[in-house]
Amino acid sequence: MFNSKTPIQRTRRISMAVAAGALLSTTALAGCSVANSEDAAGGSAAPGAAVSDTLRVVLQQEPPTLEACESNLTSTGVVVRSTITEPLIERNPTTGELEPKLATEWSSDDDTTWTLKLREGVKFHDGSDFTAEDAAVTIERAVNSDLGCNVEGYVFGDDDLKVTAVDDSTLEVTAVKADPILPLRLSFLEVVPSETSATEKVREPIGTGPYKLDKWDAGQSINASAFADYWGEAPAFAKANYQWRSEGSVRAAMITSGEADIATGLSPEDNIGDRGVSYPNNETVALRMHADKAPFTDIKVRQAVNYAIDKESIVASLYGGRDKAAAQLVPEGVVGHSDSLPVWPYDPEKAKSLVEEAKAAGVDTSAQISLIVRTAQFPKIEELGQVIQEQLSQAGLNVKLKMLETSQHLTYQVRPFPTDDEGAIMLMTQHGNQAGDAAFTVDQYMTTKGAQSAFGTAELDKLIEEADASSEADRQAAFEKVFQYQNDNVVQFAHIAHQTGMLGIAQSVNYEPNSSSGDELRLAEVTAAK
Amino acid sequence: MLTYLRKRIISSAVPLLVVIVGVFALARMTGNPAALYLPLNATEAMREDFAIRNGLDQPIWVQMAQYFGGVLRFDFGSSMRTGESAADMALRAFPATLQLAGTTMVIAIVLAVIVGSAAALKPNGILDRFCSFLSMTAASIPDFWLAIVGIWVFAITLGWVPTSGVMGMAAWVLPVATLVMRPFGTLVQVVRGAMVSSLSEPYIKLARSKGATEYRVVGAHALRNAAAPGLTVAGDLTVGLVNGAVVVETIFGWPGIGKLMIDSILQRDFAVLQACVLLTAVAIFILNILIDVGYALLDPRVRPSAGAHKRRKARSEFRGQSNGPSTPSAPTANNPAAAVLDA
Repeated sequence: MFNSKTPIQRTRRISMAVAAGALLSTTALAGCSVANSEDAAGGSAAPGAAVSDTLRVVLQQEPPTLEACESNLTSTGVVVRSTITEPLIERNPTTGELEPKLATEWSSDDDTTWTLKLREGVKFHDGSDFTAEDAAVTIERAVNSDLGCNVEGYVFGDDDLKVTAVDDSTLEVTAVKADPILPLRLSFLEVVPSETSATEKVREPIGTGPYKLDKWDAGQSINASAFADYWGEAPAFAKANYQWRSEGSVRAAMITSGEADIATGLSPEDNIGDRGVSYPNNETVALRMHADKAPFTDIKVRQAVNYAIDKESIVASLYGGRDKAAAQLVPEGVVGHSDSLPVWPYDPEKAKSLVEEAKAAGVDTSAQISLIVRTAQFPKIEELGQVIQEQLSQAGLNVKLKMLETSQHLTYQVRPFPTDDEGAIMLMTQHGNQAGDAAFTVDQYMTTKGAQSAFGTAELDKLIEEADASSEADRQAAFEKVFQYQNDNVVQFAHIAHQTGMLGIAQSVNYEPNSSSGDELRLAEVTAAK
Repeated sequence: MLTYLRKRIISSAVPLLVVIVGVFALARMTGNPAALYLPLNATEAMREDFAIRNGLDQPIWVQMAQYFGGVLRFDFGSSMRTGESAADMALRAFPATLQLAGTTMVIAIVLAVIVGSAAALKPNGILDRFCSFLSMTAASIPDFWLAIVGIWVFAITLGWVPTSGVMGMAAWVLPVATLVMRPFGTLVQVVRGAMVSSLSEPYIKLARSKGATEYRVVGAHALRNAAAPGLTVAGDLTVGLVNGAVVVETIFGWPGIGKLMIDSILQRDFAVLQACVLLTAVAIFILNILIDVGYALLDPRVRPSAGAHKRRKARSEFRGQSNGPSTPSAPTANNPAAAVLDA
């Protein structure tokens, strides 16, 4: 009867076709760059296909920047340090010794002015020669400029350095006051060419390292290739490819499936199996007690906290025995760590009696203690908080567990501390000393006015000042004394454990992780498995 | 229709303004970003430098005025985290999310229409019961669980697809399959319900009695009338995906806007957060208009008054051609018989 379509029907069909077409077009065109991305080897990656000349690394997160003066940030340094760029001096993470890199030797008569002889025959990735001028600009840029480099705050503070390029291969660096560990501080500076902007940060640096940056596909991957004119030994892999996945189980799966050769930041819960290799990562977990409110006003209660926590059981049950019960804030390998300092023994009866003694002396031991813990700061931290809460409760203390996200937790971590919290504060802190010298720990954690210190004593401040000024063998003994004094007379901290990190390492490569692997993964140290 | 669109744009401007102000104010209530960006031992002078460099030393109303001025120029400032332009970062991430959302919804809609229609042919039959079970299961499975299980089964055990990433088309399989489940499950139930209702209408019996094929009865008549509720639900589901499939983007390392937004919240990266939220809000606003337009095209009853003239004109043309009955011809529930006139 009516074979032709009505206008409304036609309109409807056209509109639906247009809508479907639009949706499909959006899908096809919205981001072709994502759909057609290529792998490190330049082709479409087949699952599990190993690319023999490419070292594939999967990180926890995309580096925010590769700016050399931000390389003390873990997410930046893990790519940049000693791979793309290099420092003048490098700290051996295993021995703790300073070793030559772009500087071959260094010396000082007064610990204030340091003279560095620089390596000759070194080229930057842009083909220019490395000279003392480049080293001078690097220091000026990172320490003395208004760039706001992270490394300045982390290592150097407000004081500037005077830098002079004596000749092409000699550099003179003068500190404001005697600084026996200035060479160690300089090891944090990655050298860039003198042409590098002094007014803006540079996301993709030019360095002298064994690998040069090829391409950074923001959001997806970073590709690098071996630098043909590298002054040192050529790396084993011609290319390197970095990707990032925030889920640990996915990073582990990439190792298992053959999609990556090295995965950082894993834990045994990620099902990495035999491919997971643990290593001491220089991180220490401790509780910091604020002595401004009861019951922590009495040292007996702070001692009771140390006796009440069963550190050995925590390490064994929560961390598979990989971590090590701690007696101080720095682990083995850091200058100042004392091997002879005993771990507080687990003695619940002693803890109870100390709390009773404090109560008898008039301290309100029933006052609430807020145990401040950062959510997901490290594996099983929630369980650790609960165990500590329970063990302290058994000692007769009233502990309330407060799980906070990072920025809230930071308000408790750094001065000025919140004052409106209920009861006394006990902060669970994870401290990493990647510098290798206890000065980087005690200055901020133990001095009376330290940024991360709740309190201190004049005697301890004096000991720290002496230790900071001492050098070489005296330095080790001086810091050992500081840690001993903390445990005997101050007891601001209850140390829990020196932690371990875990890398996933595929069968296709050989790599032995060290305490710095999480912060600077030196790709030149990775070789192909035979 | 233009009047309708104009009204929708004007009425959406207020919520958009609320979003702009809201995200600005709420972001700043979450704390000082200096603590996250500076080393813990940074000195007071360094904290002051940081505040000055990022304009955080200015009074809040000055910051807001600068922000509004920037929005008008599509300049959201620079990321505190990366130093890049916030607008560039958001615009770079958004296509990846649109691709994922678009692909997911196309597949979900097509599958849901097929499965939902098949299930509706014999209500309470074996196929219907199976489809109901399938759809409810699909709509209920947590996507993070599905994603992890998918990786273990299809990437690690079988080795068919990569675990994650965006390299090659095979990398799309697991993220899309994970994302498809919920919209598919929900849409199957909606399509099935609407189709059962449509198929029981008298005009369907009339169509069948006129000898129309089953394919035409279901595909051309019943499905068309059942499309409106499906479109509404599909629109809502698409909005959810465009807003960022955070879990899937996080697990599979998909560089989309959901992951970028979460990272910028956690890092107090105000400029990026503001750019992401505004971009998403505009996209959702446009999507909502498209859905409204699609809905109006499908169902004349919800068509705006501005469309009445065209509808009357269409009816008049229709009557002129057919000399048929003077009733409206739109195949709606009001007059389902019209739907079979071209059977």
